[in-house]
Amino acid sequence: MISVKHLSHSEALRYLGGANAEPDEKMLELINDCEQQILKCLRPKFLYKAVDLPCERLVKGNDIAKHLEGCKKAVLLCATLGADADKLIRVTQVSNLARAVVLDSFATVAIEQVCDSAEQEIAKAFPGLYMTFRFSPGYGDYPVSLQKYFLGELDAGRKIGLSVNESYILIPSKSVTAVIGLSENPIEKRKRGCAVCNMRGECQYRRRGEHCGF
Amino acid sequence: MDFKTLLKTKDFILLDGAMGTMIQKSGAVYEHSPETLNITEPGLIQSFHRAYINAGADIIYSNTFGANSYKLENSGYSVSQITGAAISNAKAAAKGTGALVAHDIGPVGMLLEPAGSLSFDEAYNYFKEQILAGDGADLIVFETMTDLYELKAAVLAAKENSDKPVIATMTFEKNGRTFTGVSPASAAVTLTGLGVEAVGVNCSLGPDELEPIVAEMTRFTDLPLIVKANAGLPDPNSNEYSIMPEQFAASLEGLLKYGVKIMGGCCGTTPDYISEIGKMLGGKAFIPCPKTSDSTVCSPSAAVEINGPRIIGERINPTGKKQFQQALADNNIDYILTQALQQVGGGAEILDVNVGHPEIDEKKMMTAAVKAIQSVCDAPLQIDSTKPDVLEQGLRYYNGKPIVNSVNGEEKSLSAVLPLVKKYGASVVGLTLDENGIPKTAEGRFKIAKRIVSRAEALGIDRRDVYIDCLTLTVSAEQDACRQTLEALHRVKTELGCKTCLGVSNISFGLPNRELVNSTFLTMALEEGLDLPIMNPNVESMTGAVRAFRVLRGIDKNSADFISAYNNTAPERKTSQSSDVDIFTAVCSGLKSEGAAAAEKLLKTTDPMLIVNEMLIPALDKVGEDFEKGKIFLPQLIQSANTAQECFEVIKKHLSNSGGENVSKGKIILATVKGDIHDIGKNIVKVLLDNYGYTVVDLGKDVDPQLVVDTAVKQNIKMIGLSALMTTTLKSMEDTISLVRSAKELQNPDGSSKCVIFVGGAVLTKDYAMKIGADYYCRDAKESVDTAKKVLG
Repeated sequence: MISVKHLSHSEALRYLGGANAEPDEKMLELINDCEQQILKCLRPKFLYKAVDLPCERLVKGNDIAKHLEGCKKAVLLCATLGADADKLIRVTQVSNLARAVVLDSFATVAIEQVCDSAEQEIAKAFPGLYMTFRFSPGYGDYPVSLQKYFLGELDAGRKIGLSVNESYILIPSKSVTAVIGLSENPIEKRKRGCAVCNMRGECQYRRRGEHCGF
Repeated sequence: MDFKTLLKTKDFILLDGAMGTMIQKSGAVYEHSPETLNITEPGLIQSFHRAYINAGADIIYSNTFGANSYKLENSGYSVSQITGAAISNAKAAAKGTGALVAHDIGPVGMLLEPAGSLSFDEAYNYFKEQILAGDGADLIVFETMTDLYELKAAVLAAKENSDKPVIATMTFEKNGRTFTGVSPASAAVTLTGLGVEAVGVNCSLGPDELEPIVAEMTRFTDLPLIVKANAGLPDPNSNEYSIMPEQFAASLEGLLKYGVKIMGGCCGTTPDYISEIGKMLGGKAFIPCPKTSDSTVCSPSAAVEINGPRIIGERINPTGKKQFQQALADNNIDYILTQALQQVGGGAEILDVNVGHPEIDEKKMMTAAVKAIQSVCDAPLQIDSTKPDVLEQGLRYYNGKPIVNSVNGEEKSLSAVLPLVKKYGASVVGLTLDENGIPKTAEGRFKIAKRIVSRAEALGIDRRDVYIDCLTLTVSAEQDACRQTLEALHRVKTELGCKTCLGVSNISFGLPNRELVNSTFLTMALEEGLDLPIMNPNVESMTGAVRAFRVLRGIDKNSADFISAYNNTAPERKTSQSSDVDIFTAVCSGLKSEGAAAAEKLLKTTDPMLIVNEMLIPALDKVGEDFEKGKIFLPQLIQSANTAQECFEVIKKHLSNSGGENVSKGKIILATVKGDIHDIGKNIVKVLLDNYGYTVVDLGKDVDPQLVVDTAVKQNIKMIGLSALMTTTLKSMEDTISLVRSAKELQNPDGSSKCVIFVGGAVLTKDYAMKIGADYYCRDAKESVDTAKKVLG
């Protein structure tokens, strides 16, 4: 379906702090090793489905309404790295926590890359339409409880092995659900960012004058 | 005709095709889930069943795939309403036709532990509710399962709450594994052991892609196989399937040679597909395909066939090990996990698990240990206890097919242990002793072995699943003992056809150079037919003897395993040579062995507490500060902490040897709250707190609030750290805090709280932390340490 061959080192490093540091030789070796190890464990899969707007079950709250302003369709997307990446991180935590945090960062990078590839495929499936960025349950006031609706609509449990627990945590944990708006007119360049983020009051990156990339 | 008779008398049994596809094609509208149509459109559902019966189906599946109380939530209907209606619909359609009705049950819809947070017992209860509601059906079918643990809960729920026959199919991906990593071999071995009538595959792939999976399954079971394939591969988004009915039937024909007896269709199939299968089968006879595998034990992802010597690691056993006993008393599961991974690294293929210790609840600990080890380790386990109720606990919560250690020739043991082995589908170690003790002669032991085997076979346990232990006695006490053991072993192997196991290290007790005696004895026993040496795999000469034996006996084909074990021994970087690195530098640079060496050296001249307070702690402080300023990365902080840990261990050892004071600065509970399964942050906090000299009681993730309170009360702990990653689990954090605050035992006489609670986690803010009643909010691991210093000193 999709294959991921490289993972961004700079992105992975960003999750590991060290904003003012250059990775030394030992750190570089760890990074390279972990990238190769996590790549072998990726079983990336995604599903998507377009729904016509307005759609009451999908649009809950102000932030998603604003996000989909002017769109005639919305695409529901879900993507996962599969269970093996979670397992690798879990096992590594027992014997080598330092390594586990690096693997965890790379897995986070990987799921974003998978979503980027999924987006490219979606763009091809809807030629001539303009796409918004990915907006996920949990952003702003968009309820995280909608995870269950997303997975149900896409039959994600059966098709890609993605489920959610009673706290609406996605399992496997390196997974994403998101909405992408489709519009016939060019979309004003809105970006994800601090404005829609729940953490803006406490964010460590913001405090340091940086940005998490969200 | 009932299902079991059908199975015996017919060459092939036809199942139905997809219900979902029929519903979709009919354009039927439903509010919540397709199962509600059983009540709103009974006529329509009956017409689908009838269409499949007319196409030739011997068995139809009720429209109850997702009829569990989790999925039906908010549907307005109960499990018994939907299930009752569904089975009535199927029976109405089957009336007068001779077709049987299978009560169809799919996955709960939430993932089980360890990947998810649904517990085994919770899953069991979902299935039990469904099974009790399905009284009218002729058999029970579990399908589209991807998690063997969930399927085990389902089969046990069926067996314990109904006497209907059970069949089960799992869903595999193109890579030959299910989404959760289950192998076809493990599925076949485990389900056969649990006593289902037939096993197989359904959904996800077309019949052609299923061939390698079916071929692997049949190698590991004598049961008839089920194939309910999709109509080819679906386009993931348009949902269109690629194979037409004739082609579908033709592909299935190619699978008959694997002992496939029961066939139908899954997604994308319709009555046309079923009638084509019927045509294809016309006049054909069932092709039996007996299993070719030897006795096999398994975890969900790894099947270990006992077709040559396999090492059982013996280290998870507290007998005579002070540190292990302490770890059990402290509920320190990490200690056990480390032992497990080390042994697998050393060459063990199966791990013995014994957690017997007078100060703990062995049943509880066995469950916890089995679950925890299986969450990080693929090796099958051997459940080891002298108590049948502990064995049962381990058997129930084990995922796969384990070994029971052990039964013996005593009547009490035979009648208590063997039924458990049968019920849970395990293998068992049989000790050649009885109420009269260990017979001195080989003949005496052989007789007991024979008795154990015949009792096992009377219950339907395959003799190849009985692993006879002829018992090693100390040769320094009785020199002839070795010969008796080996002779008994030889006879058991050749005359009874059983597998054999043996704990080897007893042989050398009381002698010098025990390792030499042990490895020689091991080699002698292997030559007599020993299959399962129970030993320490981290002793190189012992593991090496087994590896070499496998080569010399031609078991290790082309010496591949041997070469891969010894050929790539890249010379380990000798780091300990540069022992001139001082302890401060070692910690700051994360150099473990240099740190330990430096600590050893310092201890000769320096007061231990001085090393801790004036070297280790300042080094950790510097690293923490560097991390805060972004001068180093998180893994570097952790490596430094691990180095400090190593130094602390050296110092602790020194202190306990010299009877000095304990270095612990106080106990702290850490827990990731109920419902939350992200624990990497908590683990980082743990490492740092450990290193500042605090004793961390780590309760793990998804922790029940009551456990936090109970632990705090029992161990008199004054400081508690809680983590939560999701906004949705902050509620659990709040619940935990209020339970701690309301516990009388954790209050001072004036009603104030004895416990200081600090909290952290990605979505948490300081304001929120205060609002839910925490004492401190800690942004990162470093702040947790600062807080601990403030509170505990």
